[in-house]
Amino acid sequence: MLFEVKGLSKQFGRIAALSDVAFHVREGEVLGLIGPNGAGKSTLFECLAGVLPSDAGYVTAGGRAVGTSERRSLLFYVPDGIAPWPAQSVGWALDFTIGFLRGRADLREEVVAQLDLLGLLNQPIGTLSKGQRKRALLAIGLLTPQPALLIDEPFEGLDLRQARDIASALRVHAARGRTLFLSIHQISDAARFCDRFILLSSGRVCGEGTVPELAALAASHHASIPSEDLEEVFLALT
Amino acid sequence: MRSHRPPFLWLLNKECRELIVSRAWWVLLLCMGPLVGVSFISAVRTYGEVSGLNGTSAGVGEALSPLIGVWAPTFSACELAAVFLLPFVAIRLVAGDRQSGALKLELQQGMSPFARITAKALVLLAGWIVAMLIPLSAIILWKSYGGSVYAPEVITLAFGHLLNAGLTIALAAAMSSLTEHPSTAAILTLGVTVGTWIVNFFGAVQGGWWERAAGFTPAAMVAEFQHGLLRLDTSCVALVLILAGLGLSAIWMRLGTEVGRRAYQSVALCLVAAAGIYACTFLHASWDSSESRANSFPEADEMALRKIHVPLTIEAHLAPEDPRRLDLEHHALSKLRRVMPSVQVRYVSNTSIGLFEQTRAGYGEIWYSLGGRKNMSRMTTAEGVLEEIYSLAGVSPPQENDAEIFRGHPLAVPATGAGGVFYILWPGLVLAAGILARRRFK
Repeated sequence: MLFEVKGLSKQFGRIAALSDVAFHVREGEVLGLIGPNGAGKSTLFECLAGVLPSDAGYVTAGGRAVGTSERRSLLFYVPDGIAPWPAQSVGWALDFTIGFLRGRADLREEVVAQLDLLGLLNQPIGTLSKGQRKRALLAIGLLTPQPALLIDEPFEGLDLRQARDIASALRVHAARGRTLFLSIHQISDAARFCDRFILLSSGRVCGEGTVPELAALAASHHASIPSEDLEEVFLALT
Repeated sequence: MRSHRPPFLWLLNKECRELIVSRAWWVLLLCMGPLVGVSFISAVRTYGEVSGLNGTSAGVGEALSPLIGVWAPTFSACELAAVFLLPFVAIRLVAGDRQSGALKLELQQGMSPFARITAKALVLLAGWIVAMLIPLSAIILWKSYGGSVYAPEVITLAFGHLLNAGLTIALAAAMSSLTEHPSTAAILTLGVTVGTWIVNFFGAVQGGWWERAAGFTPAAMVAEFQHGLLRLDTSCVALVLILAGLGLSAIWMRLGTEVGRRAYQSVALCLVAAAGIYACTFLHASWDSSESRANSFPEADEMALRKIHVPLTIEAHLAPEDPRRLDLEHHALSKLRRVMPSVQVRYVSNTSIGLFEQTRAGYGEIWYSLGGRKNMSRMTTAEGVLEEIYSLAGVSPPQENDAEIFRGHPLAVPATGAGGVFYILWPGLVLAAGILARRRFK
């Protein structure tokens, strides 16, 4: 197990964005965080990455609690919908990731090729389309050195072909031992790509496991025949 | 394989690039040319006229110092730019990361927020120094006219404007981190600046503690530097305020820390800064860098005053807005405090303007008390004040040394070529450099 989250909670005024969230992340797995819009997926990632304070809860790794500053060597979070350094080129952003975030220079060319960024290297990030920006952000994330990579909506803004190409690129990195924790609101995308899932609804974890494990859980809740369709399982558990 | 360059250098490089692609900075540079041009050309014209240009009667120019006549007005363009343009450059650089989402990525690096804000402040100060090249280039023009330049007073003035810019940067950085949106930060920054003007106004009207506080506002600080006076207390207060502003910015940059904790840390920082400012007020050292010794008595008088060790108390019955009080303060007491830091000055008045107090018995009197002896005078000139002190101390006034008297540097020349430099050459250079640099760095 890479790390475990226990009792994570976050309130925005009277609204509970996260309530007693608990789950674990295994080394080298592709873990999907699925849930509808507003389920608290981004909030959960931001709390884990330490860019948003949580009200309660902690993370453990190797049997001991890991503080926010220590978590920085454990995981890196790529937010959705941001356009960092909009006036700078994609190529510069990748170099900055390698230099400032202590990323891996040896992966640069490979990541550029995998995410089809060669033609965009000299283009300012602020001028990129949504899909191009997403690919640039994924490249930044893939170059970072932390063992776990948290990506908020990795397929958002991508067409089918790009989504498939990126999925296979992410698989390559996962196969090398990098843990990927992906927040995905399209359950069909998640079902195709992830090894295990965490179902989040209204800030609560409704289930954690592989599709068969979640199907069994849903069946036990409703005393019905287990379905292997993740969408059905999700609806049954949330 | 990882980069060997330290992350801080990467951050500096990034901030430099962000400054170079920032339109706000190029607008600041563009505006500096005409702003400095207007000030310099009108200052040189006035200086020339009082020196006898265009048939005017020379005479006043004989006592005119280039610091007061040319450099103070020329560099006043920096004061305008620091209030109305620099905050937007600073807000753009500090708030830009938050707006674009880059802050969320950069915070995960683990670098101390103080180091992050230091990188931004250093780059902003470098950007300001580039902007100051234009008033500094006026020195070359002045020299080409045959004008005199006394380096210590110009350096002091430039340092004052650098400190003032530091204050603006720190204020804008704090506001950018404290608020969610850059426009709110801009409003708050200008609000604080207007607040310091209100303090100045109250200081002029009310006197007392308001007057003391007004002495540490950016406008008052710059005014001292414009007279070639470098005061340790004012400079240290400015540095404490700069550090406090940058500290506040660093505290509120940490998005992952609870708001309550950030608020407690901010209060603690403000208390430490207040204590620091209070401690700075006990520093009395100052240096008069002006060639004309505008902030000092003649050296012989200073030597005579230093020999008086008995405590001196002055009680002036003058209202805060009475011009005589201003004369007394600027021409005598401010100079006296530099030589005799222990001098106690007390102002007594029932009204703020003094106009309706004129008939009151005792109004306008200045009482001197030294070693149990008392004297009264109504003179507000430096000579009058010194005479009273010497008479009380039983010291004979030193002989006036003619060689010491500042004779001024009259120069009756028009500002030839200045319009071309400041209105055409500089804006042209800025535009060309801006286009090239933005292309190169984008």
